[in-house]
Amino acid sequence: MENSMMKQVAKKRLLGNSLKYILLALLAFIVIFPFALGIWTSFLPSMDIAKGTLWGGGQLTLHNYVTAFTQTKILRYLLNSLVIASLVTIAHLFFCSLGAYAFVFLDFKYRDFLFYVVLGTMMLPFEAEVIPNFATVKMLGLLNHYSVMVIPFLTSAFGIFMLRQTFKQIPRDLKEAADVDGLSHWQFYWKVVMPYSKISLCTLAAYSFLGAWNQYLWPMLTTFSDHLRPVQDGLRQLQSEETFNDWGMVQASAAIVVVPTLIVLYIGQHYFKSGLNEGSVK
Amino acid sequence: MIESLPSTKQQPKGPEANDKLTAKVKSFELKKNDKYYAWLFLGPSILLLTVFVFFPMLRTLYLSLFLTDTFGKPTVFVGLKNYTILLKSASYIASLKATGTYVVSVSVFTIIFGLLLAAMANQKLRGIGFFRNIFTATMGVSVSVSAVFWLFMFNPTLGILNKVVIAFGFHPINWLTTPGWAMVAVIATTVWMHLGFTFLLFFGALQAVPKSLYDAADVSGATSRYQFWHITLPMISPTMFFVAVITLISGFKSFGLIDLMTGGGPTNATNLLVYRVYKDAFMNGNYAQASTEAIILTVIIAIITFVQFKLLAKRVNY
Amino acid sequence: MKKISQFIKRYWQLFSAAAVILVIGLGVFGYSRSQVHDASGRTRVVFWHEMKGPGQKKLVTFINEFNKSQSKYEIVPQFQGGYNDVIQKIMNTHGTDASPAIFQSMDISTSQMYHSGFTVPMQKFVDKENYDVSKIASVARGVATRKGTLLAMPFNTSQTTLYYNAGLLKKYNITPPPVDPTYSDITRVSKQLYDRSNHKVKGISVESYSWLFEQFLSNANEEFANQHDGHTGISTKVNFTGPTAIKSMTWVQDRVKYGDFMNFGSHKNEMAAFLSNKLGIYMQTSADMSVLAKGLGKNLGVTYYPRPDGVKANGISVGGASLWISNDKSEAVQQGAWEFTKFLINPKNQARWEKATGYLAINQDSANEPILKQSYEKLPMLKVPSDQLKSAKANYTNSGIFVDGVVAARSLIQNAMQQIYAGKDVYKSLKAAEDSYNKVLESNNLANGWTK
Repeated sequence: MENSMMKQVAKKRLLGNSLKYILLALLAFIVIFPFALGIWTSFLPSMDIAKGTLWGGGQLTLHNYVTAFTQTKILRYLLNSLVIASLVTIAHLFFCSLGAYAFVFLDFKYRDFLFYVVLGTMMLPFEAEVIPNFATVKMLGLLNHYSVMVIPFLTSAFGIFMLRQTFKQIPRDLKEAADVDGLSHWQFYWKVVMPYSKISLCTLAAYSFLGAWNQYLWPMLTTFSDHLRPVQDGLRQLQSEETFNDWGMVQASAAIVVVPTLIVLYIGQHYFKSGLNEGSVK
Repeated sequence: MIESLPSTKQQPKGPEANDKLTAKVKSFELKKNDKYYAWLFLGPSILLLTVFVFFPMLRTLYLSLFLTDTFGKPTVFVGLKNYTILLKSASYIASLKATGTYVVSVSVFTIIFGLLLAAMANQKLRGIGFFRNIFTATMGVSVSVSAVFWLFMFNPTLGILNKVVIAFGFHPINWLTTPGWAMVAVIATTVWMHLGFTFLLFFGALQAVPKSLYDAADVSGATSRYQFWHITLPMISPTMFFVAVITLISGFKSFGLIDLMTGGGPTNATNLLVYRVYKDAFMNGNYAQASTEAIILTVIIAIITFVQFKLLAKRVNY
Repeated sequence: MKKISQFIKRYWQLFSAAAVILVIGLGVFGYSRSQVHDASGRTRVVFWHEMKGPGQKKLVTFINEFNKSQSKYEIVPQFQGGYNDVIQKIMNTHGTDASPAIFQSMDISTSQMYHSGFTVPMQKFVDKENYDVSKIASVARGVATRKGTLLAMPFNTSQTTLYYNAGLLKKYNITPPPVDPTYSDITRVSKQLYDRSNHKVKGISVESYSWLFEQFLSNANEEFANQHDGHTGISTKVNFTGPTAIKSMTWVQDRVKYGDFMNFGSHKNEMAAFLSNKLGIYMQTSADMSVLAKGLGKNLGVTYYPRPDGVKANGISVGGASLWISNDKSEAVQQGAWEFTKFLINPKNQARWEKATGYLAINQDSANEPILKQSYEKLPMLKVPSDQLKSAKANYTNSGIFVDGVVAARSLIQNAMQQIYAGKDVYKSLKAAEDSYNKVLESNNLANGWTK
């Protein structure tokens, strides 16, 4: 009697589990399918794609990748994005941490006022300010140049805000001890605060890098040659240049672009998670 | 600048040779230095934010009160006329509605699917790690890559979606060139793009729910549905609200996807507010109107961001 | 002094960090600034173009040939995307290092380029060298001419062309449309194809693209804007609701209602459907020709753009784009741009250009080039668009629209067309576009001080 009941429970669990697996597989399919299809078509001969034969059409080929690497500037686009995103990331780490330090450890007039001012900038979308910003960078002679994609983004209100939250967690005793030891603000910042906030800094770095990597509108407006275009706009360029459906090549380029970000992501995943927690829980 | 920095020679007034007091005095002296350090540390950020955020906002506001000529220069002052014309224009109202539809749908579906993924991945099953990794995969996909992948699926003659549609015996759909479907297409793509990020957020929130709560519920015999509504949901509601706000804001700023997939068409069906700003300024050369639209967009986003701040502030008090 | 060195000693990290950022910044700054000369001392001539597909391939070939043919100049091509973006890009970059020396800009931008004062009229170079400009097709020149002065040089000139799938017509035993067809001629073919194929093949597609609408008006001698489409003064009103406008759009809407019409939504999709025998007729630029001829061969049918029943064809204006030389570069650079222009429009290159792309050879001597002769012999329908071009006599309504900001009008018209295709009232849709654009025109004229 008891045995059969146990069996039934086990059966029920098995059924439940297989249902769960089916649902999981279905969801995984939905998430991964557009990806997989894109990657898959990047290996198909152009003729097969044009005819609409996506499977069973014969052999796979690397031809699209060869075309992408040799006929387009995809590598150049990648390099541009890498340079721009790295510069923006370094600058964010530096300027945001300094700013945050000022708000936490320094005592000066209008501190709170300035903090609200910085916070206020987070409310103003960059996308809505492109017209005067364009005029500014034109006046500064930065158009069609790396610096136009870096200089306006050297600091970030979000970064300052986030690091301020982190710095606030640093025990006040540390600061007092540092004062006793005669450490200057700069020394305290460099020797204590920065090492203490490594995780938050990594998180900010990951966000800044991804943010800069995904810039689309601004580079589109301010760069005019393939020499300088970052990947996002490079892909747009390829997409629009191909009037006649060289889908294989376009997909191959997209695949080339997506691989580095996936790598960064899997390395940086831990920091993203902790960043999310900092942003949402603290 | 350097000369004006106070030298260490100046002795503070407190004459007693007490160690503790010296430290206090020292820190007082340092406090006096704070002003200079503040300039040094905060200066670059404030300068950049002023040049690239505050000034442009004021300038945009200024431009919105004028007519601009071929060169984008403000020439004729018209007061608030640009605003009244815009808010009366049927096509702008349509854009407002389209943007509303887009951001709300994106927000709602992102939450539903993100939560579903997180809930499924939060189970103790063999090989669940594999699924968790897959669910975060879209985090690495940028706007243009998503657009390329989905554009191919939406292609009316070659795309996989129409093959499915035909297999079920329906007429092929012109996904990106029929007003209603185009909106569906951009929403679907956006939601897909957001999934990885949202999954991670919800998953983190679910994992943070104390296990003891469920144990207690188990003991009292509560069903899993009851547990979901009365334990899980309240516990993760702050995360949910957070997700809602950030997807709303990013929805209002959604530019690249629209540019690549529909160009604001067909019939302006996906001509979202932010895309209009670009189109009116950098295609039509109507900088005054574009500035007016930019100001309206800013007001909307500012309000939502303000709500987000309030929310964050509340959380800090937790 | 001592104080300073002490200070530096104490805060060296700060300084070095600032220095690193400064160095990186400056390094980036100095890098890849557009130079006037290339490594071998040739004058760099930056060329902005918007050619895609076969046109881009051929253009790059021309550029390479030009760069090899002489050692004074180096043409540097930079693809800029669509025609629509490039006008504002020129307006926004003029006078900076980013601006091009020579650029390609479409027919409807002529007025804006003229008013900007940012370019050197081609006439200057033509006069200086006594270049024989009469060899260039007059209708093509008309689009880039203001009061007898040639502002820009037509380069990629196209005509709206009606393509039909002759193979499909044969299969279903349908008489092809005549040369210079009327709307009802096209209706007949489209309906028959749709009916006889048991609705498997769509008869016709007309992309919701304003250029096609404009050509409907042109071909019936109907004005788009007052002041004779802007040719005699500043236009203050547009007219999207004239008899031809209504007639043509009603005609398309009737096709939608009957079912033989399909809106493919984009040029790309339309072409794909046509090539895969799912669509019988469509109207587009003659620049589609090379791809279509490659895909369908002898089964490709080509005829003139249709006209309303009972109206004599007025001919259509040319589309495509012209070459403009900027005036913010040195004389040497401008001269290089002119040399390159001459190279592109010489008879041989224009003949090769037409063969490769379907853009029409604007140099009349190109017709004698063997490459073009041979290709006409092989596929006679390739010649139809250039016959169409020759059959038109230039007048105000078929010489382009000389109004600033037609890009905005186009998007309004496209919007109206899409509404009409979706079943909305023809007059109301067009009227709404007309009213909106009249407001734009009014404030634009006011802002520029052209009206009070």
